[in-house]
Formats: sequence, C-alpha cells, structure tokens
Amino acid sequence: MKKSVLYFLFGILPSLLFSQTVISGVVKDNKGIPVMGANVYLEGTYDGSTTDDLGKFKFETFEVGKHTLLISYVSFEPYKMTDDVGKMNNLSITMREDVNSLETVTISAGTFSAGDNSKISVLKPLDIVTTASAVGDFVGALQTLPGTSTVAEDGRLFVRGGDADETQVFIDDIRVFTPYSPTALNVPTRGRYSPFLFDGITFSTGGYSAEYGQALSSVLLLNTIDEPTNDKTDISIMSVGLGLGQTKKWESPSAESWNQGRSLSVNAAYINLAPYIAIFPGRNDWKKPFEAFSGEAVFRQKFKDGLLKIYSAYENTDFELIQEDINYPDGIRFKLNNQNFYTNTSYSRLLKNGWGLFAGGSYTLNKTKVEIDEADIKDGQNSADLKLKFKKHFSNHFKLNFGIEQLLTDFTEDYRETSLSAKLGFNNNITAAFTEADIIFSRKLALKLGVRGEYAQLANEFSISPRASFAYKTAENSQISVAYGDFFQQAENEILKFDSALQSQHAQHYIINYQYAANNRIFRVEVYWKSYSDLVSYNDSIPNLNTQFSNMGSGYAKGLDWFWRDNESIRNFDYWISYSFLDTKREYKNYPTQATPPFANKHNLSVVGKYWIEDWRSQIGFSYQFASGRPYTDWNSPGFLEKKTKSYNSISLNWAYLISSQKILYASVNNVFAFRNVNGYQYANTPDANGYFASRELLPASDQFFMIGFFWTISQNSKDNQLKNL
Amino acid sequence: MQNVLTYLSLFLTILVMQGQTQPASDANAAAPTKYEKGMQEAFGLWKDNHPWEAANMFVRIAKAEPDNWLPPYYVALINVVYSFGEKDKSKLSEQLAKAQNFINDATALSPDNPDIMVVQAQLYTAWIVFDGQQYGMMYSPKASGLYEKALAIDPENPRTIMARAEWNIGSAKYFGEPVEAYCKDIERAMKNAETHPTKEEFYPRFNLERAKQVLAENCQ
Repeated sequence: MKKSVLYFLFGILPSLLFSQTVISGVVKDNKGIPVMGANVYLEGTYDGSTTDDLGKFKFETFEVGKHTLLISYVSFEPYKMTDDVGKMNNLSITMREDVNSLETVTISAGTFSAGDNSKISVLKPLDIVTTASAVGDFVGALQTLPGTSTVAEDGRLFVRGGDADETQVFIDDIRVFTPYSPTALNVPTRGRYSPFLFDGITFSTGGYSAEYGQALSSVLLLNTIDEPTNDKTDISIMSVGLGLGQTKKWESPSAESWNQGRSLSVNAAYINLAPYIAIFPGRNDWKKPFEAFSGEAVFRQKFKDGLLKIYSAYENTDFELIQEDINYPDGIRFKLNNQNFYTNTSYSRLLKNGWGLFAGGSYTLNKTKVEIDEADIKDGQNSADLKLKFKKHFSNHFKLNFGIEQLLTDFTEDYRETSLSAKLGFNNNITAAFTEADIIFSRKLALKLGVRGEYAQLANEFSISPRASFAYKTAENSQISVAYGDFFQQAENEILKFDSALQSQHAQHYIINYQYAANNRIFRVEVYWKSYSDLVSYNDSIPNLNTQFSNMGSGYAKGLDWFWRDNESIRNFDYWISYSFLDTKREYKNYPTQATPPFANKHNLSVVGKYWIEDWRSQIGFSYQFASGRPYTDWNSPGFLEKKTKSYNSISLNWAYLISSQKILYASVNNVFAFRNVNGYQYANTPDANGYFASRELLPASDQFFMIGFFWTISQNSKDNQLKNL
Repeated sequence: MQNVLTYLSLFLTILVMQGQTQPASDANAAAPTKYEKGMQEAFGLWKDNHPWEAANMFVRIAKAEPDNWLPPYYVALINVVYSFGEKDKSKLSEQLAKAQNFINDATALSPDNPDIMVVQAQLYTAWIVFDGQQYGMMYSPKASGLYEKALAIDPENPRTIMARAEWNIGSAKYFGEPVEAYCKDIERAMKNAETHPTKEEFYPRFNLERAKQVLAENCQ
C-alpha cells in the first residue's frame, strides 16, 4: 500500500512540478462593458497577459500555491485578488473606475480656473498677457470673464454686484492685503504682481471654500511657480518703462540629499509715464507724471518631501496732478507717495499615511502720504496673515482639510489741515478655524462640505459660515453643480478707522451652474442669488469723526453669467464670449433708499479673439467690451441713482510678433476707435442763481492707450541656438 | 510680458524609437534567463506592432525586477511615443501621467541618466504638439533644459545628440533660422554611434535609420 502510494506520487510529481496552470477570465467595468488592453498578471512574476477586445485574458504559469493576481488599466482602480493559482480560471472580474481620473465630475459652481493644474481651465496662463484689453495685467484678463462689471475708471474686480473691496486676493493661499497699485482718480489701477510668477489662477465669483474668509463676493487665488525651468534673463523695453529679470537655479547635489534644488528669481521694473504723457497728454494736468519702481524676489527650496517658498515685493509709487473739479475752478492738487512691502512665506510637506501639512504667513507694510490741497494725510498699515492647515487623504473617495488662521491689521492715520488735525486708527485681530471634506461618491457625484468659524476681536463677535457645494455629471461632457455659502467681512479700513466696533457684514450665495466641456470648447451658464445683510451705513455724505455708523444696510444681487470658449472650430483661432446679466440693489453707506450702486451694470459683454498667423509668426488679438450704463444721481431731478450713463464700448487690438523664439515685439492699442466713454457725472455742491446744479462728465484720463514693447529672454540653456543669433 | 510668446517655440520633434529593435544576444550560448526571455518577448510584441501588449509586459517585468531601470523606461517610452498624434485629451493625459510615473520610477533607480531625461523631454514635447498655445510656453524651456542637462552629463551620447538636434531643427525651421549646425550634430551622433556602440543588452540603442531619414529630410 505504502509502496503504491509512493510510486503513485513519484510517478505523478514530475508532471505536477512542470505542469502549467491556466489562468483565465474576463474583465468588465461596472456597466458590464469589456475592458480591453488591461494588464493581468501574477504579482512579482513575468506571467501575465493583456485583455482582448472582449475583455478576455488567458495565460499559463508554472507558479503554484497562493499568489496575487493584479489587474491594472488606466482610469480604473487596480484590482487585486489573492488565492491559489489553481482557482484562478474562468474568473469574472469587475473593475472599479478611478475617481481621480479626468472623467470625474468637478465642483465648478462659482469657480473659474486658469492654468494647467485644473482639470478644466477657462483661461490659459498665456491669456493674461495675450488678451488685447488686459495689457499684461492679470486683473485685466479676468475682467473678460462673466460675473465682473466694467468699471473702467477703477480697474479692480467688481463681482456680481459686489464692491471691489468684497474681492480678496491670495498668493499661495495667504492673504494679500494691498493687491493693487495706487493711482489717481479716474485712472484704472493694476495688480501689483507680475503675472509670470504664477502658474495657477483660480477666480471664484461665489460659493468658495471655507478656507477663505473676509470676502463677501469673490476670491482670487494665485499660485506661484514651484520650480522655474532654467536659468534666464528677461529684458523688457516698453514705451512706459523698463524691466529686468533674472532667474538662477541650483540643482540638487544628489537624489539622496535633503536639498532637492533651489532657485532664486529677481525682477525689477521701472515705470515712468512722463515720456508717454509728453506725446499723448490726456485730460489730466500732471505736475509729476506717474512713476513707480518695483522689485520682486522669489526664493524656492525643495526638500525631499517638502517645499519652501519665500516671496517678497517692494514698490514705490509717486505722482502729483491737478484734478479737475466742478467746485474748484483751479482744480484740486493731489500728490501721492506710496511705499509697499509684501512678503509671503509658505512651507508645505507631505507627511506619512496620506497626511499633508501647510504653514504660511504674509506680512504687509503699506505707507501712503497724500496731499490734497492743504490737507496732509499719512496712512500706515501693518498687516499679517498666519495660516496652518492639514490635509488627510483617507481614500480617493474621502479627503479632509482643516486649519487655523490669524489675521492682524494695525492701521494708523495722521490727518493734518490748517484748522484740523486728527489721529485715527485701529487694531484688528481676527482668529479663524475651518474644516472641509471632499466626498467623491463616484465619477458622477461629488460633494464638498465645509464650515468656517471666525472671531473678530474689535467687535467681540463670533460668526459661523457653513459652505457646501455639490456636483453631478449629467453626461460624458456635461455636469450640473450647486453651491451655497455664508460669508462675513469686516468693514473696510476707511470706515473702521472712525468706528471700530462695527459688526461684520454678511452675504449668502446660492449658485446653480451647468457646464459642458469637450474638444477645446467650454460652455458654462450660471444663475445665482446673493443676499446682503448687516452692511455698513452712515449718516454723512463722506464719513468723518462725527459720523454715526450702523450695520443697518442690506441688499441683493441676482443674475446670470454665460461663457463660451472655442479653440477648435476655426484653425489657429481662439475666442471666448462672456455675458453677464446683473440685477442688484442695496441700501448701505448713506443711501436714502435701496438703489443700484454706481459700479453695477445690468449687461456686460466681452468678446476676446486671438488669431495666430503662422507665416508671420504673429498673434493678432482683439477684444470688445460692452457694458450698459451705470446709475448716477442727477441733482437737478428728484430721485437717487435714478439716471444712467450711456453704455460703455471699447475695442482693443494687439499684435505680438516673434522675432525669434526669445525675442518678441509687442504692440497694443486700447479703444482703437476712441469711443468717448463717460464714467459718471459730478455735480456742483451749490446750485446757481436759477437753482440749477452745474455738472461735468467724468471722463477717463485718456480715451486711448498705446503700448509698444520689446521683450527679450536670454536663457542659458538654449545658448546654442539663441545666443549665436544675438 | 517677458516670456509672452516663448511658447512659439512649438514644433514637432519626431521621436527616435530607441531600443525598438532587439539586440542579438550574442553572449548567450547558455539558456536565456527569465529576464532575458521576458525582455525579448516584450520587444517582440513591440516589433510585431503590439505596443500596448509590449508595454504591459514591460510593466510586469518592472514589478518583478524592482532594481532595474530599463523596464520602467520602456513603459514610459511606449506611452510617450504613442501619445504623439493622440487627439483625445483625457486619453492623452492618462497615458502621459502613466509615462510620468514610470519615468519617476526609472529616475529613482538611475538618477542623472541622459536616456531617461530624453524621454522626459519627449513627454513635454507630446504636450506641446497636442496644444502648443497652452503648453508650449510652459514645457518648451523644460524640454530644452533637459536636453542640455543630458548632454552635460554625457557629451558624446549619440542618442542625446540626435534627440536634441531634432528638437532644435524643429525650432529653427519654425523661425526660419539655419539648421546646418544641427545637421552637423546628427552626423556627429552617427559617428559616435559607431565608436560608442551599446554593449549592454536591452539598453536603448541609436536608431541609425531614423538619423539618415532626418538628415535626408532636413539637410539637403
């Protein structure tokens, strides 16, 4: 008996040892559609196969015992099963879609993303500099998106019936307190920072994340470049000034070192409008034309799993002019000097087990000296934002973010006049905590839930802002999103300096969005309702020391934003059309009744096009801006903000000619046809003998703006094909 | 506005299909190892025009041989090569994301490797070819930088010289600049390929046919 068993075993063993096991089966997705091209194999072996067009696979292996069968294919989560190889035949496997893939729904209500890091971007990084009306200013480019109002004399972002102060700007998620350069009345401002420092721009017109506070209407998030590509020198010579930039990169000494490379970029710019004004004088009587010197530096240090970025910018602005005024035949003298220093430091690193850490802070020092006729005003602002946040990636379906933030502002004003002098100021501390969860149920359904709590020390006030957004994919290329949020913001410095005990102003957003995106075409339409409460109101025409303030103001904004971009239909032609309809009224400041504020237009239209002419190595761009009239109060008729200016029209053209890959000649004209746009009216303080208030039109400083520039990049890395051409 | 239109350094670089032909394993009188058999099978699949099956085979080898940079290198290369001409953005980005993962794996195993840098540069080129307006400005300096870095590490590597010359020819033609210097580079690469032949098995190889073709097309 024993013998026969042994005999049997010995007889059969060789065939057992060398026999092959067949592994076979079929792979389908959750809808039962075969997955073709999936890699099916035994982990750690060479044995495997690729599924055919019916999702079938079959291969042989000499392996025995327990093994892990792995199946992988792009856009699916890897499938694993561990079992005895002998049991791995006629398998029927269902793969689960990977919710990290591009096909997954994105929460898009209220948000426009620009840049490469977003799944769907409405603006490309280059649009900022190639949009004809923008003249290299990122704020100018964003003004061609729906949701913004055309307020030509201001230049800042007015979003969905909100004042420009209701939009906050963040660099690397840290607050920027003074994002705009100072300008004279009726001269639009520009963003202070060079668009080339950023590789991601997210513009949210409502319903944004709980991470961002102190913004009633909108946030603009700018992300600086993590790593410059190579050493280079940039030289720009423009009709309005000069610029010089230098980037230096130090590679990592080795893959093992803690130092994984560092880099430093330094930019300097000098702008002087004197030569330009000598040729095109415009309407202002300049005593000292606008002059600005600015410098920026960015240092980046990469660690093994972390990144440190230090960004600093300094700007000094000077100008003096006589401003026309109906009440003063000789005009009003206005002189300004502004010094602004901003620094932003952030450190992010990946920790173990899906944890991530971000710590950052910014500091702003802003000093402004203004002389208005006999008055002498000195403003000083010290502000800081400190933020610490963590994220935890539990799975592809659930992520959590939470953090704390401290905002500090110390503002002082020294006001001197012959008969009056005053010292004003306040110290404002806000402490906030926030948390937000991203829940992705499937590729079709995603939810973001967040809450932010803030304590404002000045008003001794605690506020809670819940935020929620939800997105559902209706078809392969389309989706619907909805968003809700509560937003709080303190009064602006100009008010807080008189009354620091005011409560926060409050807004609620409700947004529904539909988006279609496919083949370089994007269509979006969004409707929203926004209600305002606790807005600051006061009893004087211009706030002063004796003014009574309250939080009695309220209002609403509702409307529709429409966007279409197409880069596909016409070869080498890229265009977008934005249209916004806005219905808004509010009672705040010194308004006697609910009225549409003077910065709100009912209809706004932007058409931007760019045509690339291959043979000329040129890009020709145009943009058309239309805005219906804005309200103003006619002192010679009853009512408040009852009249409207005529509508605004402007067509801008630009031409970029590529001399070589690193030399560019650029020319642009804003308002080519010199439409005479009226921004509003100023009325005399006192009526004439007939009881009539004289008035004058508020016109832009000049109807047109010309710009010509030569931009030259010298990159060390391309010296072979570039420097020899110099 | 400094960089405004650097993106216009957009041009096609056509790939050198390195390593596609299977080297004769002359040294092997003995039975081939599992690794050799696997690699030969993968190259065979690629040669028979089954690139995705070949890529899958390379993935399996990469998982089984976690210390060898060649299998992940070839996975990346196939995903990059077959991304040229892909019009579907989500497919393209998935393929290139996969390629990027395997480039990262290969780089971790073999840092400062010029051949891996060339594939990385070609990955950027695939994006530029897909949408030059969007990706040109971002990726073309990165690609140029990588060619220079690869060449600094091994100045005589014929594959790097060739790949960079092709990239430069694309750029020069676009700007109507002379290409002679790059033609000389190609000739130099061809000469180097003779004097520095690849000895190791399955190592990326110089594609002489491709070099001749580029010369004939651009340098007459």
